[in-house]
Amino acid sequence: MAEKEKIAISRTQSWYYTLRTIFWREFRSYLCTPFGWVILACAIGLQGFWLQAVLQTMSKATGESVMFYMLDNVNFWFFFIFIFPLITMRTMAEEESHGTLEVFLTAPVTTTQIILGKYIAALLFYIILWTPMLLYPWVSDLGNLYTALRYDITPEGRINYTPADWFGPISILTISGSFFIALGIFCSSLTRSQIIAGIVCTCSIIIYYFMGRVPELWGEFPAAPAFHYLSISEQISAFSRGLIDTRPLVLYVSLAVFTLALTKRVVDYRRWHR
Amino acid sequence: MSMVTVEHLHKVFGRFTAVKDATFSIEKGEIVGFLGPNGAGKTTTMKMLTGYLPPTTGTASIAGYDIIDKPLEARRHLGYMPENVPLYEDLRVTEYLEYRARLKGICGKSVRQQVGWVVDRCGLEPKRRNLIRTLSKGYRQRVGLADALLGNPDLLILDEPTNGLDPNQIRQIRELVRSLAEDHTVILSTHILSEVEMICNKVIIIDQGQIKANDTPQNLTRNLRAAGRVSIEFKGDLDVVVKELEAFEPVKKVIVEAPLPGGWHHVIVRAEPGTDTREKAADIIASHHFPMRHIYRHIPSLEDVFVEMTRKD
Repeated sequence: MAEKEKIAISRTQSWYYTLRTIFWREFRSYLCTPFGWVILACAIGLQGFWLQAVLQTMSKATGESVMFYMLDNVNFWFFFIFIFPLITMRTMAEEESHGTLEVFLTAPVTTTQIILGKYIAALLFYIILWTPMLLYPWVSDLGNLYTALRYDITPEGRINYTPADWFGPISILTISGSFFIALGIFCSSLTRSQIIAGIVCTCSIIIYYFMGRVPELWGEFPAAPAFHYLSISEQISAFSRGLIDTRPLVLYVSLAVFTLALTKRVVDYRRWHR
Repeated sequence: MSMVTVEHLHKVFGRFTAVKDATFSIEKGEIVGFLGPNGAGKTTTMKMLTGYLPPTTGTASIAGYDIIDKPLEARRHLGYMPENVPLYEDLRVTEYLEYRARLKGICGKSVRQQVGWVVDRCGLEPKRRNLIRTLSKGYRQRVGLADALLGNPDLLILDEPTNGLDPNQIRQIRELVRSLAEDHTVILSTHILSEVEMICNKVIIIDQGQIKANDTPQNLTRNLRAAGRVSIEFKGDLDVVVKELEAFEPVKKVIVEAPLPGGWHHVIVRAEPGTDTREKAADIIASHHFPMRHIYRHIPSLEDVFVEMTRKD
């Protein structure tokens, strides 16, 4: 004990230091467990499968970009909806069921830091899932080169693209993902069971998705513009055509902030009213 | 200044009152044993002190910082080891401790140095590279204790630190807590009363949410009902001896126990606390020339205090 008092402990009270610590632990837990790699492998496998399927369609029909064909169909949604619960269902539910939230919150850490740290880590992992997309232009070039060499120059067989065809989809997937990840963490904070968190999250995203489909079912009634504004499928088709719109950005960022604030309330409430 | 001040702390879960109007204070350097039957409110009180559970009414402060108004400052002075020690299963021991050290605001080279120190202190050296998932109960308990020690906090709150350990491990943890006492304030809850008698210089007994006693173990045992009790075994005329014993001034009651084989009688003499009736009782039996084989004055232990304070009847 005596020798310890000679060595002063360097301490910091920095808010960002704690946030960074939580972020790194969470991010590492995605990459240092088989769990994260299973999600990553599934996502990359499915993306490859679709790209291949879409390229086959493309050889018959032309006009739109590859990304449009890939994202603007129901198959994509089938997979897209399940990414978020998979990434986020553990975040808060596991802390609570293992009791580690107690150790967490008796350290000098605020609820906001915990939620933000977990959110940023999950969002970054989600963005990593889409990085293979950055290779598509290169794959397209390779394909075009192969076609050119094999069949001489045949314009019909070429994959036409502009940088906007890639930038658009990547940005809408990131922007909407920022909200869905927040929604997943919110669902995870509601319960101590990961399964329930995952189911609630999936259902919420499906409900949100179908809100955008309401005008298709009910026709163009007076409130229809609001549903068009929320429609994730319309946003994705616009963005994958290369149309960059700032309205979804505002929508999803404010929804994400709101959901995270709500999550903080829920975590505190559940602790205070046990 | 007191290390811990608790004023009228009250906690209600729905219709169940877990802690009723708890008021006590703990001075710097004290080792406090927190005793009570299961479900008495020990863990709840400890959780409130750490700021994890908010009190329904009342306040508490640690090192002068209110746990509700200044929770972060209060927690910086606190090391907490919860019951059952929840840990992240997927980390290695040193990884976990480094993470916890950073959460507690330790930075730079101090992280490694602090982790090395607590690993050394808690005997975790052979397991430092192991995954927490693979550790035995005893080592998990030590990881929890090591975590609480990180950053050398002024106050340690240990909730049943020896729960589920074998006698050797209990001894090691006890030695560790005793060595911490030199410059820490420690609050520990336990069911092992001999442990408290050995290491604590203050005892708080809580039952059904209420603080029943708050004193040194010596003071608690001194004024106990059981203190003046003498047990005697003899042969001869039981009625005569009982009558003469009851006539003696400090004796309150003579209880006749079931007769022992071989014609031996067994009586228990209850007297005023702090008196010794052994000499007089021996005289009475000797004056009748009855044989006597056993006379014993009960030395009150903390167990007697505990039973007396928390008994339901």
